Amino acid sequence: MSTTTDSQTTATPEEKRDLAIQLKDFNAWYGDFQAIKDINLDIRARQVTAFIGPSGCGKSTLLKWINRMNDIVPSAWAKGSIRMGELEILNKQTDVVSLRRRVGMVFQKPNPFPKSIFDNVAFGPRLHFKIGNQDLAALVEWSLRKAAVWDEVKDRLHKSALGLSGGQQQRLCIARAIATGPEVLLMDEPCSALDPASTARVEDLVYELRKQYTIVMVTHNMQQASRCSDRTAFFFEGEIVEEGETQQLFTRPKNQKTNDYVSGKFG
Amino acid sequence: MSQNDNFYSNPKAESTRKFTSSVFAMACLIVSSLAVVILVTLLATIVISGKSVFVVKKDQDGNVVSRFDADEATEGTDESGEIRSGVNWNFLSGDHVDNKPEQSGIGQAVLGSALICLICAAVAIPIGIGTAIFLEEFQPRNKILRWIHGLVQLNISNLAGVPSIVYGILGLTTFVYLFNVLPSIKTDPTPIPWEVGATHWYQTRTLGKNIVRFKAGDRTETPIELTQNEICVDGEGNEFELIIVDKRSDAPADAELRKGYALRGRKASMVKDTWPWFFRLPFGKCLLSAALTLALVILPIVIISSQEAIRAVPRSIREAAFGMGATQWQVVRKTVLPAATPGIMTGAILSMSRAIGEAAPVLAVMGGVLGTTRGIESLMSQTPVLPVTIYGWAGDHNAGFENASSAAIIVLLVVLLVMNSIAILIRNRYEKKLS
Repeated sequence: MSTTTDSQTTATPEEKRDLAIQLKDFNAWYGDFQAIKDINLDIRARQVTAFIGPSGCGKSTLLKWINRMNDIVPSAWAKGSIRMGELEILNKQTDVVSLRRRVGMVFQKPNPFPKSIFDNVAFGPRLHFKIGNQDLAALVEWSLRKAAVWDEVKDRLHKSALGLSGGQQQRLCIARAIATGPEVLLMDEPCSALDPASTARVEDLVYELRKQYTIVMVTHNMQQASRCSDRTAFFFEGEIVEEGETQQLFTRPKNQKTNDYVSGKFG
Repeated sequence: MSQNDNFYSNPKAESTRKFTSSVFAMACLIVSSLAVVILVTLLATIVISGKSVFVVKKDQDGNVVSRFDADEATEGTDESGEIRSGVNWNFLSGDHVDNKPEQSGIGQAVLGSALICLICAAVAIPIGIGTAIFLEEFQPRNKILRWIHGLVQLNISNLAGVPSIVYGILGLTTFVYLFNVLPSIKTDPTPIPWEVGATHWYQTRTLGKNIVRFKAGDRTETPIELTQNEICVDGEGNEFELIIVDKRSDAPADAELRKGYALRGRKASMVKDTWPWFFRLPFGKCLLSAALTLALVILPIVIISSQEAIRAVPRSIREAAFGMGATQWQVVRKTVLPAATPGIMTGAILSMSRAIGEAAPVLAVMGGVLGTTRGIESLMSQTPVLPVTIYGWAGDHNAGFENASSAAIIVLLVVLLVMNSIAILIRNRYEKKLS
């Protein structure tokens, strides 16, 4: 905790920190239902940004738009702008394949492929790079080490990933996501299906990873948001009610609704 | 309060409830055991009437004493005891012989069934899996396309329930006659159907590999007297004169002339489709037509079972692959298909066993062929298949064929049982691996 605040104090003024993703006047719909209304948000590089809010408030939808996962939902459409550096993500011509290589995703439920642990991690590199067997093995090891699961799986790399525990599976999924060398990691409630011990390990991992990656995390768990995020955005009914430094948002919220939510009066 | 207590502990009401329940359970038991009894009776009848066919009695010298009527054979040879019984291989490997049930076998029918089943699988399974992938994974966003998509889905669900004889008639017009777009084979000799390959006459057997080709319209079942200096056409389309000789040694020495000689007295009979790749359009009544028709019969089943297998792959796996930057096809190829393969294979095998047991469409498309003298030479040949053989034998006036029919049913049931067991084995072996 203390290190989090330290890094933030050294990082001020925040404006100088490079922006990873910029959302401008972003609106999203499922059919006729507007899930997200006029969102403006700057996501900072190499920080953890947490999205909190009650169910159905649009935070997962927003996350899925950042790497265009909503493309596979036939009724989903959006307006506005999401920029990542020079790249306009919402642009129809944007190459989704290379976008998703740059923006990795970790899902709510651990979802390893029904393949071996090695093949799980090697899946992305095999899709995107022409890579020799030795390099691939090195990359798999690097990713698994990075995701703090190497020691547990190094003896069973070629056994099915489905034999791992839930927490190990989730860390494997994180290893799989970072194996393609992304800049941004999107995490959709990565700990909601895990027990407290596994949750703690994944949180530690997120804290480690933020030195290298920009992380956007959706969570229902307010303690988790306050423990491992640098900035927090509070969503309510498709709008961002308040966005700011995590510490400030949890201790001195400016908005009454935020106050009610973080203090547990609703949600 | 007291009323409630009274209601729940009323001994009379309770015993009535228990009685109703037990009556209902008994009724269910009776109904289900009735079904089992009928099934067992059916099987027992078939086995009793068919089992003797599999046994052959031979005397010491190896001469066949009796094939069928086992009791009679034992009676007549009791005193010596030299009669030995063995497996009637002739039944399993022989061909149909008219009016002689004891000499008839199902060899050709088994071969025909296997071949038709293979072609049917080769056609129906790729198309079926492709359609299933299209319907499940490539759902269009466009409204009109979505409507068409829904229509296709609806059609497939309905087609699965269409009686197979209807497919037979469809196959007849489609494959056998090709909507009569091309001149038909069975009509007068003037129109010539499109043919690739050789149709050649009797005398070419004596010539070895040289192939004489006649106009396909000239083909006839009745033997024709060969005439001297008749103009024939060889496999390459070159014309030559036919030379009739008295002895083989009189055959012309010139290789060019040797091409078209025949022995006097030989008759040219039905064209022989020698090449395995002999092909014609329209297909006519042949095993390819039958296989394609059966492929149509099982296509909806393959599609629906593949769809179910694909749908059973958890959505999260697809999302994971999409999230890694896989394209739609990569997602299908690398994650969905491997995970769905056991289910797809189970469905495919079960549909194969449906195809192998279908008689009606084969009867419509190929006719009730019980045996052919020349065997299966090409895809354009006719062949007996097991269900048609069973049907034909069961209706034969010769009582011996009824036993043979039962025996063929036993063979068919064993084949189906084996196929279904393989399907179950695959399902049990791989189904746990998914989640």
